[in-house]
Amino acid sequence: MTLRVGKPAPEFETSAYEKGEIRKVKLADYRGQWVMLYFYPGDFTFV
Amino acid sequence: MTAVAAKYDELKTLGAVVLAVSVDSPYTHKVWSEGELAKIVPGGLPYPMLSDPGGRIGQEYLVYDEENGVDIRGRFLIDPDGVLQAMEILAPAVGRNVQEMIRQVKACAYVRETGEATPAGWEPGKKALKPSPELAGKVCEIWSPEMAF
Repeated sequence: MTLRVGKPAPEFETSAYEKGEIRKVKLADYRGQWVMLYFYPGDFTFV
Repeated sequence: MTAVAAKYDELKTLGAVVLAVSVDSPYTHKVWSEGELAKIVPGGLPYPMLSDPGGRIGQEYLVYDEENGVDIRGRFLIDPDGVLQAMEILAPAVGRNVQEMIRQVKACAYVRETGEATPAGWEPGKKALKPSPELAGKVCEIWSPEMAF
């Protein structure tokens, strides 16, 4: 998989926490929207 | 993270969603979110916090630091077709600029809708360029650096 602007972003599926619930999230769920994917070094740090 | 939350309404109007990712488990996300973030952002974060055990996703995006076992501060803008349009990776101790991220969403969306190009410092309302053979070598006639600020 190439990581390059203009190429498809790597797909993924994983578990996520949102508003009290834990659920599966995958990148493909967000087709039709702009996605800001934010990596950060860890909880309890600033992001 | 909370800075992004503060601007989330603006992102939503642009048709953008935020996915935050770290190697922490969803349960750790929950504890941090409920214990600390909810005090900064009323109601808690308005977007999902993804769990990336072992940095599997981070490796695909070239932000996984094996030595420390964490995903470093990478930010990726992915368009409605799933194509990567922008990326930025910062040193761990350096925070991000949410305004610049929002500007890039607007610029990428404008380019996608119009087929035009947005020069340095472009913001909505500023002049964009229509790529054409006639424009080659003549950008200086219609654009100057002070228009970037």
